[in-house]
Amino acid sequence: MGLLSRSASFVRYAVEGEVPKNFWDFAAGRIAKHAFRDIDESFEERSVGWVSVANMFDNAFAYASYAAGDYLVLAMRIDERKVASKVLSKFCQKEEERVKKAKQVPRLNRAQRMEIKESVTLSLMKRALPVPAVYDMCWNLAENTVLFFSTNQKAQEVFEEFFREVFGLGLMLQVPYLVAEHLLPEEQRPALAELEPVIFV
Amino acid sequence: MDLVDLIDEKRFLGQEFLTWLWFKSDERGGTIFLPESGSDIQLVFEKHMLLEYGEGEAHEKVICRGLQTELREARTGLAMGKKLEQARVQLIRDDHEWHLTLRGSLMEFQSVRLPKTMENSDESDAPEAMEARLLDQIGLYEMAVRTVDQLYRMFLEVRTSKGWKKELSKMQAWVAKASTI
Repeated sequence: MGLLSRSASFVRYAVEGEVPKNFWDFAAGRIAKHAFRDIDESFEERSVGWVSVANMFDNAFAYASYAAGDYLVLAMRIDERKVASKVLSKFCQKEEERVKKAKQVPRLNRAQRMEIKESVTLSLMKRALPVPAVYDMCWNLAENTVLFFSTNQKAQEVFEEFFREVFGLGLMLQVPYLVAEHLLPEEQRPALAELEPVIFV
Repeated sequence: MDLVDLIDEKRFLGQEFLTWLWFKSDERGGTIFLPESGSDIQLVFEKHMLLEYGEGEAHEKVICRGLQTELREARTGLAMGKKLEQARVQLIRDDHEWHLTLRGSLMEFQSVRLPKTMENSDESDAPEAMEARLLDQIGLYEMAVRTVDQLYRMFLEVRTSKGWKKELSKMQAWVAKASTI
């Protein structure tokens, strides 16, 4: 559920650093370079890139431009091949049994088991289909703030890193204290820093 | 201070804001005057609240559900010193109605349901229609954020002023009264 739906969850970020002067030219280059690349036909484990907020298959922004007024709107798509731990464990055990029988040994040593785990992981990973996840974001260029449409902490971490990689700018999650610093005039900030929790009873 | 410490040490700020907001909303039957816009808004606490108590291993969470008048459990929780961590509110401003869940410690906006508007009725895929729809949606999401910011600024102004003592004693009386309902 993202920007275009009637109901969504989000957090706020402040963008740290100066936005380049020719912003839209700068953004066009960076977005094209980091547009989403499909990995359905390859064996890559993971792909992260931009798509349009209107269509997760649109990495060329044919359906919706990423520029809307004074906002940059994009969706970060992550496709990832995952193997469930129970599946991995089953296939490792199966392979261990096969090797034991073939070598006619009662048990395998740690190094052998590790080797099996590695090769089984690789072969299962190749057979796994990439699972997609899409997270919308909206960058208000006038205020230099970003709404990111997920409250999942892991997704936020990936987004912060990806945003920095693409635009070379940092993001600061706007938790209550930082919002307060932004909302209060300078002279009230020392009082804010000294606040201690109160009890309402 | 890094962000993790900041969240940890100052988590009370957002939670106190939510509690104050509940008190403020209750004071005038769901109406709050916004000085920045010079007008009233409606802010009603709905049927879902989450309260927190204690830290570390002794950390407890209590979920309270029920109609507005039945949030007695939540009020009793406040009287026992629990902190309001999450609340679902209905917000009406300029004839538009939002429903949203605010999380105090992180100031997350969860399950924000937007008002129905005439503007976003054009469902065509034309680029202009898409841009208009996007801007309309952004405007509605940002309006919810801006309103919460304006309310938060009201709280912060009184919280960092000499008037806080008086406000706190009013809130304490409200909590005490709530627990005897």
